[in-house]
Amino acid sequence: MRSLQREPALLLALLAVTALVLTFIVYPQLQVVLTPGPGGYVQFLQEGTWLTPLRNSIQLTLLSTTTAVLLGFVYAYAMVYSNMRWKPFFRLIGILPLLSPPFVVAAAYTLLFGARGVISYGVFGQSPNIYGLNGVWGVQTIAFFPFAYQLIADALSRSDPRMEQAARNLGAGSWRVFLTVTLPLSRPGLGAAILTTAIYILEDFGNPQLIGGVFYVLPTQAYSLISSFGEYTSAAAVSTILLLLALALYLAKVRLDGGRSFVTISGRASSMPRPPVSAAVSRACFAACLALAGVILLVYGSLVVSAFTLRFPNNLQVTTEHFQYVLTGTNGDALRNTLVFSGVAAAFSAVFALFAGWLVQRGQWPGRRALDLLLILPAAIPGIFFGLGYLVAFNQRWLDFVDRGWLIIIAFVFWNIPVGYQAAVAGLRQIDRSIDEAATSLGASSLRGFRDVVLPMLGGSLRVGFVTTFVRAVTTLSLVIFLFTPPTTVATIRIYQLVGDLNWGAATAYTVADIGLAIIALLIFATLARGRISLGAARA
Amino acid sequence: MTPELDRRTFLKLAGVTAFIAACGGAATKATGRISIYSALNESTNNQLFAAFTKATGVEVSALPLAAAGDLQTKITAEKNNPQADIFVGGSSEFHDPLGKQGLLEAYQSPNAKDVGAQFKEASGLWTGWYTGIFGFISNTSRLKTDLGGKKPATWDDLLDPAWSKKLILPDPIKTGGGYIFIATQIFRFNRDETKAMDYMKKLHANILSYGATSPGVITSISNGEAAGAPNWSHDILTEKAKDPSKIDLNVPKDTGFEVGAVSIVKGTKNLPGAQAFVDWVLTKEAGDLNVKLSNRGSVRKDVSPAPGSPTLDQVSLVNYDRQWATDNKTRIQKLWQSTVGIQ
Repeated sequence: MRSLQREPALLLALLAVTALVLTFIVYPQLQVVLTPGPGGYVQFLQEGTWLTPLRNSIQLTLLSTTTAVLLGFVYAYAMVYSNMRWKPFFRLIGILPLLSPPFVVAAAYTLLFGARGVISYGVFGQSPNIYGLNGVWGVQTIAFFPFAYQLIADALSRSDPRMEQAARNLGAGSWRVFLTVTLPLSRPGLGAAILTTAIYILEDFGNPQLIGGVFYVLPTQAYSLISSFGEYTSAAAVSTILLLLALALYLAKVRLDGGRSFVTISGRASSMPRPPVSAAVSRACFAACLALAGVILLVYGSLVVSAFTLRFPNNLQVTTEHFQYVLTGTNGDALRNTLVFSGVAAAFSAVFALFAGWLVQRGQWPGRRALDLLLILPAAIPGIFFGLGYLVAFNQRWLDFVDRGWLIIIAFVFWNIPVGYQAAVAGLRQIDRSIDEAATSLGASSLRGFRDVVLPMLGGSLRVGFVTTFVRAVTTLSLVIFLFTPPTTVATIRIYQLVGDLNWGAATAYTVADIGLAIIALLIFATLARGRISLGAARA
Repeated sequence: MTPELDRRTFLKLAGVTAFIAACGGAATKATGRISIYSALNESTNNQLFAAFTKATGVEVSALPLAAAGDLQTKITAEKNNPQADIFVGGSSEFHDPLGKQGLLEAYQSPNAKDVGAQFKEASGLWTGWYTGIFGFISNTSRLKTDLGGKKPATWDDLLDPAWSKKLILPDPIKTGGGYIFIATQIFRFNRDETKAMDYMKKLHANILSYGATSPGVITSISNGEAAGAPNWSHDILTEKAKDPSKIDLNVPKDTGFEVGAVSIVKGTKNLPGAQAFVDWVLTKEAGDLNVKLSNRGSVRKDVSPAPGSPTLDQVSLVNYDRQWATDNKTRIQKLWQSTVGIQ
């Protein structure tokens, strides 16, 4: 990238990105952070009710991140390196846990594995108490491994097979190659995966709320203060503590990364095949993925069964009444809103994240560290506060002419930037600068170099950004709870109402319709983008 | 025509239109559309608002969120540019702070004369229109096998070792219902917090788990996860209607209750429409319909309760001090946490 003075277009682009980040991330969040005021903070800190949730949050984040990243790594390794069968199936399964509207999926775990669970009690005659640290740890591991998996798979697939072949030719065994070549080369992806997964786990509210029992964490504390007691001020103080924790995680990651280079030669996976892994490893990979897929399918399968039966799990008479209810009145509008808002937001978010990632990773200008942090920060903001910030900041008379749907779309774009952005930065760190410099030496502007050289090589990162933004937008409740209006109601709001109304059948039918349509939309997207961007984790 | 003239014509037209609109607003007959933030149940909203539109001709845009605290927060956050005309449903605890912050429009509805003073705010910032009573849900088959079919007549009955690990309580930190349960115990012991905490500690030994949401606890009991749980009577009755043999409701002695309120949001763009809604919701017609749809009680004497539903006259109530319960919430919650050893 040439200097900013010599390329005014680049300077403008940088200013535009900075302005957008300030307007749509910093400004709304400041509204929340400043709400309690100095007195409010002092009083809240003295009350001390945050101490236990803070300790619990840290403990849970450490535990769940460790297991989720391990699982994500195994899954990614299996998908990229092994010769196991059924990869397209596992690719889809790897996205399913991201499609978890809060309340519904977590509740499905209790129905299956709880004290009177269909599996735990019905099959094994056990009444385990799943509420508490262990239960929420297990559920979070499955719910969040896809973030780690997507980011790691993207990094692994970009590492150059020639390096591994070379190591093998020099006599290293496959285990040694893995430890000394594969693992170090995937460090940018691994670092990004750990950071992103940890921040999302820190911010997770749905699972601790329903499975955590009296193991209170900061997001459940903040949410309860608002929803059950209308105490917005104290809740905003909790949100600020979460932001500080995320900041600490970010600094830890920066230290871990150091300034090392992870460049593989070309940046684009070469046509050379990866060295074969032994049949035993492939079989082990297959078994591990199958076991995980079994649990995931059980949970989502129970939602489908519930949607088609009268009163799951007590009355299993088949019915379509729940789906008839879902498709009546304005319920269909909410489904359409969800798909439109999420699709538009995912496209914007993926492209913006990639472009911002390129500016930050390749740029040599002051303040890029700050921008880097700001682009990761939204992951640490519980959706309910991201939405609240938007409401306070943008619910202004002079903005009344703008359709409220745009507010939801913009909130989706910026709240979901971190994954796509992390994927882009990790990807760029594996691509030698000389590649884009070659373009600029040949006379292209930096922006043109981005479009024609960098963009095509980062298809995987673009896909990660698109897919995660889309599925998170489809399934978020907390972000939209303060932003929706009657004409811009989305599916998760309807599901929330149905759960509150004890209409479990209709709630699951709505969830199945929501998830089903999201998967169909992703498949259509994958077909349209075939050859350029592939769905699920990187091609093996 | 020059653009300048064009703009002038436009401004004149706009002025005339505004004048006509103002006249229309001043007329006694409510018209147009109102935006209602509703904390009522999904099944209640649609039919209740349709009946209102039919009775008055005022259209409704409903924004439903089952958690009243979410709506209270939303109204607070929107104070610079209010989007709601009416806030309906949810205990008066959620309306009262909005009134104190000056975010509600006081209105003494002529129909509020039928509402007892204990159910409304004196200056008309909010008016109560329904009541909910805290009761007890039991799973019929588990009650029979585990407890010989004996329902708790008093809250103290729940300390019987026979109930050990067979109770679920809505979480007092996460849910309003769970906190009201503790507050009820404190008022039951004449505000002797030591006795109340002693009770909560003994009860803790019998509790299998604390539920994340009050309605979720009803589902858990329905599924037989535990034998019984304290919860809202109206929600228990609604669940019971789906399968009457499965669960049952009873109301132990000395229980607590809530007053569901309606209020007008300050800055409403359709004051006559909003007032028409408050007037209507206080009628016998609306009271009857709400009882039918939600199994809640009405503040009106001439509205008969839902079949099988307890009424405030029949049950024994504690002297529930809402203001005290609100002011002491954080302290009581902390006290409870340290008492039962949840750190």
